[in-house]
Amino acid sequence: MKGDLLRGHLDALLLAALATGPTHGYGVIGRMRHTSDGELELAEGTVYPALHRLEQDGLLSCTAELSQGRRRRVYALTEDGERALAQHRAEWHRFSSVVTRMLMAATA
Amino acid sequence: MITPDRAGDDPVEAYLDAVLSNSPGTPRQVRRTLAEVEAHLADSVRDLQAGGLPPAEARAEAVRRMGAPVAAVDRPWPAGSLRLPRPVRRRLVLAMLQIGGLAGLFLGVAGAIAAAIQAIWGSTAIATAFPPGSYSQADCRRWLAAYPHSHGCVAAMISDHAFDFQRNAAAAGVLGVLLLLARHWLRRRWPGLPTATESLVGAGLAALCTLVFAATGFDAATVTRGQGVGQPVSLALAAGCAAVLLAGAARRSAGRPFWSRRA
Repeated sequence: MKGDLLRGHLDALLLAALATGPTHGYGVIGRMRHTSDGELELAEGTVYPALHRLEQDGLLSCTAELSQGRRRRVYALTEDGERALAQHRAEWHRFSSVVTRMLMAATA
Repeated sequence: MITPDRAGDDPVEAYLDAVLSNSPGTPRQVRRTLAEVEAHLADSVRDLQAGGLPPAEARAEAVRRMGAPVAAVDRPWPAGSLRLPRPVRRRLVLAMLQIGGLAGLFLGVAGAIAAAIQAIWGSTAIATAFPPGSYSQADCRRWLAAYPHSHGCVAAMISDHAFDFQRNAAAAGVLGVLLLLARHWLRRRWPGLPTATESLVGAGLAALCTLVFAATGFDAATVTRGQGVGQPVSLALAAGCAAVLLAGAARRSAGRPFWSRRA
């Protein structure tokens, strides 16, 4: 699945990846790859500006932790982030069911 | 481990160089992005090597997975977006509240100065009369009803104009205090935003107002022989106070060590 298809959904995917607990950027990528069974082909570098933007918008919090001798920035969902994720889920559910109905109707 | 003489050929080092040279953010943003990207690449190379790739191929593959270096850097103004970034929007709101609030507050101060001038030199020092023929008998009756002890229609009209100025100045003062309270509340909710520039801009505007009102006051003093001179003089004095206070705030902020200049 190409990254182009993800355009507009990256924020929601990042919030969803962090819903299971705080982690750093590489951990976020690992969770996305694991959950999608390697189907997502995302340029990994694009994750960082998006994480920073979500942090600026108050949807993520960020703390510095020392891990394996490196200072890592660990991201976590805030309460606003949890609300935004719930909203993304509801919108996606509506959107996907409408698109599915339309695509299936065309073949019926 | 990459030694300095091999750094030029190493894809990871070249990628980090490209991220650095493409980063438009503040030094802190750039250092943060570089540290995160470097740690990400180190993890990625380690995992790829653990998966069986030779070191050189693992480094090249880790860089390939990152995508273009320009995609990894923060853009202060996202491409195709007309919306200002949130920190800029917040600074604008705080700046407008600060400048608008201080302007209102010092208009209130100007009203108080005008009241003092009126108490010493009378209403004619604050306000002037409309030209003869530009008001009706009904206007006169209304002014005389409001100021029954005045010596005629013109004196009542001038008292009414002086009262209007002080009432409007008092209303502006109350509004200014409310705006400054709102700014104080928002600053506590939005920590970490710099404020020195706003104070400097406010000081410049207040200084400009001081000059304009002082010139108007001088003009009124020479052309109308002092009639109505109290309004521009009180405004010039209040604007001068605002300019001095704001310049002091900007100087104090600029004089602090660079790491503590944020609100």
